[in-house]
Amino acid sequence: MISCKAITKSYTKGANTVTPLENLSLKVPRGEFLALMGPSGSGKTTLLNLISGIDTPTSGSLEIDGEDIARFSRKQLTSWRARKVGYIFQLYHLIPVLTAFENVELPLLITSLSRAERRKKAEEALDLVGLSGRSDHTPGELSGGQEQRVAIARALVADPALLVADEPTGDLDRESATHILGLLRSLSREHGKTIVMVTHDARAAAAADRALHLEKGKLLTTDPNLTVA
Amino acid sequence: MTALLSLAFKQLVRHRLRTLLTVLGVGSGMFLFTSVETLQQSLASVTEETAADTTLVVYRENRFCPMTSQLPEHYADEIRGIDNVREVIPIKIVVNNCGASLDVITFRGVPSGLLTKFAPEIEIVEGGSAEWEKRTDAALLGEQFAKHRGLKSGDKFDAVGITVYVAGIIRSPFPQDNNVAYVHLDFLQQASKSGLGIVTQFNVRVEKSSDLKQVAEAIDSRFKSDQQPTNTRPEKAFFAETAGQLIELIGFTRWLGLGAVIAVVALVANSILLMVRSRVKENAVLRTLGYPGKAIMFLVLSEGGMLGLAGGIVGAGLAWGFLRWQSFTMGSEGHTLAVLPEISTALLAIAGALILGIVASVHPAFVAIRQPIVKSLRS
Ligand SMILES: Nc1ncnc2c1ncn2[C@@H]1O[C@H](COP(=O)(O)OP(=O)(O)O)[C@@H](O)[C@H]1O
Ligand SMILES: [Mg+2]
Repeated sequence: MISCKAITKSYTKGANTVTPLENLSLKVPRGEFLALMGPSGSGKTTLLNLISGIDTPTSGSLEIDGEDIARFSRKQLTSWRARKVGYIFQLYHLIPVLTAFENVELPLLITSLSRAERRKKAEEALDLVGLSGRSDHTPGELSGGQEQRVAIARALVADPALLVADEPTGDLDRESATHILGLLRSLSREHGKTIVMVTHDARAAAAADRALHLEKGKLLTTDPNLTVA
Repeated sequence: MTALLSLAFKQLVRHRLRTLLTVLGVGSGMFLFTSVETLQQSLASVTEETAADTTLVVYRENRFCPMTSQLPEHYADEIRGIDNVREVIPIKIVVNNCGASLDVITFRGVPSGLLTKFAPEIEIVEGGSAEWEKRTDAALLGEQFAKHRGLKSGDKFDAVGITVYVAGIIRSPFPQDNNVAYVHLDFLQQASKSGLGIVTQFNVRVEKSSDLKQVAEAIDSRFKSDQQPTNTRPEKAFFAETAGQLIELIGFTRWLGLGAVIAVVALVANSILLMVRSRVKENAVLRTLGYPGKAIMFLVLSEGGMLGLAGGIVGAGLAWGFLRWQSFTMGSEGHTLAVLPEISTALLAIAGALILGIVASVHPAFVAIRQPIVKSLRS
């Protein structure tokens, strides 16, 4: 599904160049739930941003489902994201004035779906995360765990094959975190989603099929036995 | 597209205070703009000549106030004999205020029976002509005049020391008729103590608009060496020349209208820019979800346009209602200018506000998509 070959990402600001990712290669088979671990600043988010097509590598190739998105134009990337990726943020990033239902419906507003079709899909997605009873609530009226479930429903609603999550449980209590991890796991197992999740937490990583460690922009190990506690 | 419009609408409605304040600001600007446009338009309707104009005003040469223009009534018969003159009416004018004024009362004394002959277009909308003919103190009020003062037929009112009985209300295609009170000529001559046989001016109807110039010249040359020489001009030109100060003043208000437009643009631009800045992350998230830059810009422009539209409806609506309700009549030297808002002016203001709102949001719309997504998310 995902095949990164020798990708490097550097940012230049004035005379300074930072290279958060250097010559990194990685393969993620379809349907895998992968955890990316590593200390803060090791390039996890940067990698996730490349895989999700909101940023482009400085060099290297990034094949997803047979397409090298590293060569896509901005416009191509935008429409690719709309169809292929769901992004889950650490801080949920829901729109505060919209209800849970309206937040979940957001990705569908730019499709050609009718109102009724949008409604049906958004309701299904909310149902899948167990929040159909809260569809009229605004983010302010939900707990952190519920907000993250709404965010997951939003990532799911357009039915992308790939989900990326940047520390999705980083801001949650243990119980909510467990719930979210169970949800991601079932999305991978039962719905065949490929999931790349960045996490600090070994417990979270344990929910994944495999964990990889990043340090200073390079992968340390690919052996799953070393990481699962 | 409707889905995005509805998203923009939700954002506006749910950021209630910000929206309310901006709409109030835009509304004030558009109130001013609509008022100014109405003033300009009302002025144009009484000073700009059209092909339908066939009325000349004969005044005493070098006189500017109705009080000082004194012409012998019998000139009427001589004018009637001039080629292409369809009808002549001697008019005695009494005003409460000769200079430019906001609340002018104008009496026009005309010979009984001659009014409808002179201007058959005049229509009696209330009361009847029977009472007008019967009573010496009868008055036919122009529609605007009656409305402004809240008078109806059967009422009595007095002004400038003259008391009249309202026999009816008239409506006329000629703006001047609607702002005055018509009374009997001999009654007004006696009441104003100017004496019988003396009038202020003659109104002359010519056959067609292209005859105006030639007839005016013929009249003035006829009385050139007479004791009371005349100065004859088309009615609208007469107003334009005598009400010079008023017109200058109204011309100046154009700047107020321009100021209002600039204020509206600045206000919407500021409000939308603040909105865009406060939603840097929100927009980055939408772009992450696959919203094209164009869709984000569309959302920003829609919010600006809706703010403009709402403000336009509020401002133009209030101005329209206010001016209708107040029905101001300005005057200068016996000629009047009714400030009446047209629906088209209100619609222009509303459409204008919509466009201003959109234009003001163009820069913020670019700001909204300027930064790379990743940078916006990290901010
Ligand atoms: N847009 C950017 N501009 C400049 N430096 C960046 C940018 N994005 C990331 N970096 C730098 O790259 C390094 C890795 O960042 P990041 O991928 O966010 O790390 P992690 O998610 O593992 O904590 C950091 O040193 C960060 O400062
Ligand atoms: Mg990070």
